[in-house]
Amino acid sequence: MFHTTFYLRRLHSLCGLFALGMVLFEHIFTNSMAMFGPEALNGSLAMMELIPKPIFLGLEVGGIAVPLLFHGIYGIYIALQAKNNPERFGYVRNWNFTLQRWTAWYLVVFLIWHVGYLRFYVKGVTGTPISYELLQNFFTSSPLVTVLYILGMFAAIFHFCNGITTFCMTWGITKGPRSQNVISAVSMGLCAMLCLVTLAFMGSYFV
Amino acid sequence: MADKMVRFIIERQDGPDEKPYTQEFDVPYRPGLNVVASLMEIQKNPVTVDGKRVAPVVWECNCLEKVCGACMMVINGMARQACCALIDELKQPIKLQPARTFPVIRDLLIDRSVMFESLKKIQGWVEIDGTWEVKDAPIQNPYTAATAYEISHCMTCGCCLEACPNVGPQSDFIGPAPTVQAYLFNLHPLGKFDAPKRLNALMEKGGITSCGNSQNCVEVCPKNIKLTTYLAQLNRDVNKQALKNIFNK
Repeated sequence: MFHTTFYLRRLHSLCGLFALGMVLFEHIFTNSMAMFGPEALNGSLAMMELIPKPIFLGLEVGGIAVPLLFHGIYGIYIALQAKNNPERFGYVRNWNFTLQRWTAWYLVVFLIWHVGYLRFYVKGVTGTPISYELLQNFFTSSPLVTVLYILGMFAAIFHFCNGITTFCMTWGITKGPRSQNVISAVSMGLCAMLCLVTLAFMGSYFV
Repeated sequence: MADKMVRFIIERQDGPDEKPYTQEFDVPYRPGLNVVASLMEIQKNPVTVDGKRVAPVVWECNCLEKVCGACMMVINGMARQACCALIDELKQPIKLQPARTFPVIRDLLIDRSVMFESLKKIQGWVEIDGTWEVKDAPIQNPYTAATAYEISHCMTCGCCLEACPNVGPQSDFIGPAPTVQAYLFNLHPLGKFDAPKRLNALMEKGGITSCGNSQNCVEVCPKNIKLTTYLAQLNRDVNKQALKNIFNK
């Protein structure tokens, strides 16, 4: 017996929390530089450019593309096995379960747009380096872009933070309701904080 | 005629592959009336509110004291036992539906044999026949006896499977009740010898990894079994078992 399902599920869990969690934090950290003006953001973008190209590409493929594709594709398979029922069983955790899947669906579409446009088209095809000015033009080009991007960030942040709670259950770290509730409260606090940071740096492009 | 009537809206179905339809019935109110007793009244006089005489509503019940699990159905949207669903505590009209996580045989009668099959998968029993001498029963660990007693209350009614969003025709998850039974038998002084077998079974497709932590199970369990706590414990145990599987060879 080789428990393929077991190892795939656990890998899905690890990928989400560690690899994609790192990607999310890197994004929030770098983008929050926009709050301190164009120089600050362009400075930290230039810092990233100092990483030698092959290593950077290796990080992008190994640290983002592979975990993201695995987590996304296997996640779609997982999401298809659920019949969400919060209208019948409106408990908080059941709502979180449903939101975990709704945010996942939104992120599938959002990330195809986000990665496809900014990474593959703008940076890859046209060869334009990402800068404060480029992002400002893009985010402020239409209210729709602004809203869809803020929703994308909120979805990713919620999915990650709720993922911390369920990760602790899945790995048997938090067993009883008290420890589960504590982790849940802490991760939802983190969720609220990261959402506020997102609003702050997205808002800074407009002032 | 009693002056006060209780209105029931019942989702019916004439056979496993027939289309569901609803019929409404009025049952004379009496103090202490519950859903099973109301269904018995309808059985005595199966006349709808339109005055049409129809086939009596089919359902299943047995102990009438929340011990056997047979009368589980969806009452006002909630999966629960019909025998302990008191009319005084329900919003009227009362809507009765079969638990569609399971195959419907007829009306409110469902086929719950999938849970029995799942108990076979996780070896929900203690091996006592062998080449060894059978002595007196071993003592239970007094520190885990209360937990074992609690889990042994499970009556495989299926409430937790009906509430779980990951159980149903779209998924192969065996559900909270049979999964947690593995923990009960792993606690048993003789059953623990087969613990690796049960944990390996839970690591298979449809086992504990299909749990999505919606925690509906613990909310609806009529026996108040702390299902999510034991699911987390089993998650711990299967992780340890996986490490053993990898490194002990």
